[in-house]
Amino acid sequence: MADSDWGCPTPLEDIAGEIAIVGVGESAHTRASGRSPKEIAAEAVERALADAGLPPSAIDGLMYAPFMGGQFDAAAFHAYFGTSHDLWVSERGGGMVWAGTAPYDAALAIRAGQARYVLNVFSVAWATQRAEMVGGPGQVHAEDLVKQNIEVPFGWFPQPVYFATIARRHMHEFGTTAAQLGAIAVACRRHATLTPAAVMHDRPLTLADYLASPPLVDPFRKEDCCLISDGGGAYVMTSVERARDLRQPFIEVAGVGLGNSYTGTYWSQQGAFTSTPQVFAAPGAFAMAGLTPADVDVLTLYDPFTIVALMQIEDMGFCRKGEGGAFVEGTALHFDGGVLPYNTHGGMLSHAYVLGIAHVVETVRQVRGEAAAQVSDAEVGVYGGYTGPQASTLILRRR
Amino acid sequence: MRQDFPLPDVTWEPAREFWAGASRSELLIPRCTACGAYAWYPVARCRRCGEGRFAWTRMSGRGRLFSWVVVHRAFLPAFAAKVPFVAALVALDEEPAVRLATNLVDCVPEALDFDMPVRAVFRPLRFPGVEREVMAPMFVPVEGR
Repeated sequence: MADSDWGCPTPLEDIAGEIAIVGVGESAHTRASGRSPKEIAAEAVERALADAGLPPSAIDGLMYAPFMGGQFDAAAFHAYFGTSHDLWVSERGGGMVWAGTAPYDAALAIRAGQARYVLNVFSVAWATQRAEMVGGPGQVHAEDLVKQNIEVPFGWFPQPVYFATIARRHMHEFGTTAAQLGAIAVACRRHATLTPAAVMHDRPLTLADYLASPPLVDPFRKEDCCLISDGGGAYVMTSVERARDLRQPFIEVAGVGLGNSYTGTYWSQQGAFTSTPQVFAAPGAFAMAGLTPADVDVLTLYDPFTIVALMQIEDMGFCRKGEGGAFVEGTALHFDGGVLPYNTHGGMLSHAYVLGIAHVVETVRQVRGEAAAQVSDAEVGVYGGYTGPQASTLILRRR
Repeated sequence: MRQDFPLPDVTWEPAREFWAGASRSELLIPRCTACGAYAWYPVARCRRCGEGRFAWTRMSGRGRLFSWVVVHRAFLPAFAAKVPFVAALVALDEEPAVRLATNLVDCVPEALDFDMPVRAVFRPLRFPGVEREVMAPMFVPVEGR
């Protein structure tokens, strides 16, 4: 995909088939827990190491997101495990877009001999911290001086407002309906009811329930918006050679792509208002993997809102632009017989608000064949990460 | 956060002229003096030609309703008394790529439509517990439509 007037791909080296994900773990996903992000992360890391069958002393690379407060950094790792060995550390890890691109940076580090077993970790405690934040997760936007001075005064803030505005324009341009957005929410909720760890495990949702729900930021209902919960996740990567000696099925990193929007988080000014930088990310990832969207058995997408999932499904090439609404109708996204099994753990809408790290964990479990809402014989799984300024595509494959 | 948040800081340099214009009922947008491109949001360098000098230019105040939402939940306590209200993006007639975040006022939300003509009116932004108020460009549907 070439540059356009609103964004471009980031050129990436070919790392197809060099590394594998060999261990995954999640913390408990809860409403306000009173725990710190580090405590939550430690639980996820411990479980990821146990899953991989590796001791803490084997981990010699750590990827995290320093800009998110209180993350599990090298000091936290050593403090928790009582270790003191050298760690290769990368600040290009964590959730969101980076949950999808961390395997790329890990592959380059492993190729260069900087690390052998690399851990990527991310956690949030925003349910606990919400009351102290300005507009909850909108705080980062409230602190942006441009937004603070020319958007927020009009109440064009925070994220539910941005994305409901995008959803309404998408409805105008392509005829997308509330019931189509609702189909995404219903598929996620159904998967959550089958996933014991999901926050909304005990809260079924029908399309009729969705349509009867009052407007929050019209055209959004609350069911179009993600949860706010405490939780975290982690995964361990190593070379495919070392992966063969470990206990878990062999999940290869087959492709990675990264795309950029020049207007960043100033969504109001984005040239292609109803698109995401997945249009620049996905083609590179599929080319690297030698696969096409038709080869994908299970898809997980960073889904802060129903419309963000819908746009990414279009922009990654699972259907043509503008046809996402018709594509997702009915049970198209359901794990058992849908044309594109999607967010099979419930996603951020219904599983947990851990910003994509649990999506990668779920994608690995699906291609291993051990997920709660297991897609029959899933071999190729894809994660789509998103921040607004960037989108990433991560393609995983069982070998 | 400032004491008077979410009022704009009208002394913040990149948008100072925007708010100064609004206080005179003028809608001003910076325009590159080298290539003529409108530069919204304010930037240090022109996105088209890279030059760094801008002239704040008076716009007609005419535009089209690009998209909108009806906000029912106050995400900030300051908006609790305003809900429900219409937050919108308006594409300006002189350069539709310039979209203003704004409010639609004096309108029936159910009667709003995509790309309908709108015009700027200047109304005060006021928030509870904040003494100061700031005049701001908001929009109304063009009559006779």
